[in-house]
Amino acid sequence: MLGTLIQQTVNALTIGSIYALIALGYTMVYGVLRMINFAHGEMFMLGAYAAFLAISLMVGNIGAAGAFVLTLAFFAAVIAVGFIGVGIERLAYKPLRNSTRLAPMLSSLGVSLSLVTGIQILAGPQPVAFPSFFPTARYNIFGGTITSVQIGILVAAFVLMFGLYTLVNRSRIGIIVRAVSESRPTAQLLGINVNLAISMVFFSGPLLGAAGGILYASYYGIMTPTMGAVIGLKAFTAAILGGIGSIPGAMLGAYILAFVEVGGTALLPVVSGGMLGTEYRDVLAFAILILVLLVRPAGILGEPVSEESMVYKREF
Amino acid sequence: MSAIDTTTPSASRTGRLVPFLVFAAAIALMAVTPFLPNYYIRVVNSLLIYILLGIGLNIVVGYAGLLDLGFVAFYAVGAYSYALLASPQLGLHLPLLVILVIAALAGMVTGILLGIPVLKLRGDYLAIVTLGFGEIIRIIVNNVDWLTGGPQGIPRLDKASIAGIEFARPVEIYWLLLAIVFITAVVVWRMERSILGKAWAAIREDQDAARGIGINTTNAKLAAFATSATIGSIAGVIFAASQRFVSPESFTLQESVLIVLMIVIGGIGNILGVIAGAAILILLPEFLREFAEWRILFLGLLMVVLIIIRPAGIVPRSFGPEKLIKGLFGK
Amino acid sequence: MTLVFQDLKKQYGSLVAIDSVSTRFEPGLIHGVIGPNGAGKSTLINMTAGSYTVSAGSITLDGKRLDGMKKYQIANSGIARTYQNIRLFDQMTALENLEVCYYPADVGMSWKEVLWPPYERARNQKRREACMELLRFFDLQGYAGAEAGSLPYGRQRMLEIARALVMNPRVLLLDEPAAGLNHHETAELTAKLAELRSPERVMIIVEHDMDLVMTLCDRIIVMHHGKLLFQGTPAQVQASPDVQLAYLGTANDIDDIKAAAEARRAQLGIRARRRS
Repeated sequence: MLGTLIQQTVNALTIGSIYALIALGYTMVYGVLRMINFAHGEMFMLGAYAAFLAISLMVGNIGAAGAFVLTLAFFAAVIAVGFIGVGIERLAYKPLRNSTRLAPMLSSLGVSLSLVTGIQILAGPQPVAFPSFFPTARYNIFGGTITSVQIGILVAAFVLMFGLYTLVNRSRIGIIVRAVSESRPTAQLLGINVNLAISMVFFSGPLLGAAGGILYASYYGIMTPTMGAVIGLKAFTAAILGGIGSIPGAMLGAYILAFVEVGGTALLPVVSGGMLGTEYRDVLAFAILILVLLVRPAGILGEPVSEESMVYKREF
Repeated sequence: MSAIDTTTPSASRTGRLVPFLVFAAAIALMAVTPFLPNYYIRVVNSLLIYILLGIGLNIVVGYAGLLDLGFVAFYAVGAYSYALLASPQLGLHLPLLVILVIAALAGMVTGILLGIPVLKLRGDYLAIVTLGFGEIIRIIVNNVDWLTGGPQGIPRLDKASIAGIEFARPVEIYWLLLAIVFITAVVVWRMERSILGKAWAAIREDQDAARGIGINTTNAKLAAFATSATIGSIAGVIFAASQRFVSPESFTLQESVLIVLMIVIGGIGNILGVIAGAAILILLPEFLREFAEWRILFLGLLMVVLIIIRPAGIVPRSFGPEKLIKGLFGK
Repeated sequence: MTLVFQDLKKQYGSLVAIDSVSTRFEPGLIHGVIGPNGAGKSTLINMTAGSYTVSAGSITLDGKRLDGMKKYQIANSGIARTYQNIRLFDQMTALENLEVCYYPADVGMSWKEVLWPPYERARNQKRREACMELLRFFDLQGYAGAEAGSLPYGRQRMLEIARALVMNPRVLLLDEPAAGLNHHETAELTAKLAELRSPERVMIIVEHDMDLVMTLCDRIIVMHHGKLLFQGTPAQVQASPDVQLAYLGTANDIDDIKAAAEARRAQLGIRARRRS
């Protein structure tokens, strides 16, 4: 019993960390631009493909790649995706910055569609086996099995999130990003370089998302051009659950969602006496989201929007 | 399409010419369609269904300014109403008209039931919650095998008929759809002009100020939600009747997103815009069929380009049905 | 038709924005609310209109409790307002901005408007005529078909007041109607507002422009740190040493008030011209 509990907890933490890495990108973009970036899930997918490409450029036989090559590929991929993110913002969202709120969101849908099909054309629509980035080992703790991949994911995710947290809260550029998130017009009036903040967000968000993608692909050993869609939706849900625009909220929301999912998968069939199977896991996740929003309309850590604090009159 | 792009109302020559051209093109297309091969009639039928869906969703997104990403749920309600009430699945074989009424009511009730809890939420939260409801309904439909047939769907639906006239062949469905689209468009356009439509616009522009002038925004939004759900459900019935098969695959999130895109690319809040948007997003992939997956890539890039060039849509809000009628008949 | 505040209080956490304000607003009079920035003037208006909740105390109109009602219900009880930052329906025409105010009265029959064109025409015409009359009163008839958001700033202020008047409200709340207007526009506004005085209407104006307040208002309420500092006629207010001390700090001459108002208006006038 204890073993199962520990194992499920680690499973939830692992998947929650990956959600969190992606959710951070959604929430930061929302913070500075009040925009839902539907193409963000594709950064996750691009991360895996970019890493795969980097490895195959360096060594002929993917499976034989050593630790050094893998590390190098990891960093090359996440940085490349970071720059892709900045480029996409410049091309597809920046021209729409003073347009309606709906326009950039739908532009991002177009970007998302193009990226998925682009990869499908370049790499083929079929799933591709992905190398493990961590040595495979299993540990037994109180009867629960934990793999080294899980430990690697947890460590990598924590390091990245801690890095982001430090960047946002301790560095000068972080102050700029936070100022722009607080109020873009005011920041602009104060002479803050808003473009720099936006580029920063569109660099670090996709970077974290790409890292999530690599970790996810190496966890499941597989990558597909459409892998970003479902996971992106989950991460987006997590960001909203935590309160979109809030960085700690995104992380909290991601872990809550992961625990609900893992717990739901394990408990639903038992609790409902076999009536509801694991396929209702997503229903449970959305039901939790809806319930939370009914009680706290701005998410768990989001700031409630009152009438007079509205910065925009039109919602879209 | 760029011919519609006249934003200056004072130019009286184009003010007449453009409406005339649009009208003539529409009439020509409508007249030619019945003589096309069945494949193309089916394409036009699917275009008409999307126009119907677009007109419905436009009430919520374009008029009232609420982003609903779960519209497909209502489409599914209508489609499964037909599938369950006119197939061997439950052994029921009700006539089309009865099912249309039942489905319209079911759609309206679902719209209100979903609307009551979520309409208090603002903007993006509303979007994600409606998306969640859409997914929940799809997952349930996918898993309640005894009722909906699960992922296999429900096959062998009845041929639809009204008063002995059968609507089964593509061309018959085409006439039925044309009539329904026309009636819906007129009714919705008149709603837009009514005091209710003005209240929706006020809510879209500034919902707090709208409350300040005495508009019960919750009720007005519910009315928008319910109307749009009713239309979505009717579209679902016709869809099921024309396919004579339903499965959860037709009701994914992508469908909801596609309808939102049609509205925005065409011209948000404008029925003519919805028609233009549907034409682009439904017909273009058909024309580019031979390019296989390249056409999807092209479509994605085109979306980005169109939105950047015309963020408010191809058809300006000022070029509405009113303008078209005035241009045609003077006044 | 008297609007009564009884021990009205507004609290944000430990911050008390409005502290036990009790007063009455009589119909037929124009009431001015003045006070330094942050004194709680706008908060009073926002609480009356239902934009803010009331922490304690009560607001009653003719003995009917308004606090606790929903914002739209308050509006439908005959209370209309304008906003400190103009909140028009930008993408609707000036005329539509007024017409939509008929929603509470006409919504019950909107199904008939949709289904029966002659009825719709008659309804529309009736609404249109009444609204055009209001537009004419504010010299806005030339803008009837223009999008509200495209109007010059000063015209938008006027249009917002017109919108508040469509349903002939019993209480008219104006939140800094002269803010951002130039000299000429302020004079025009003062004249229009004077015409709006009616025996059936309570008018409350929150305003920084002392000239406007002193010429227009019959009774003035001075707010200071969320408390009601003084109430009386313009002459009494001008003579009150309390008010002078609170409002102007060290100044002790009413001429200084006027000079300060003058300077402020000139400043605002320039800003308004730049905006339009």
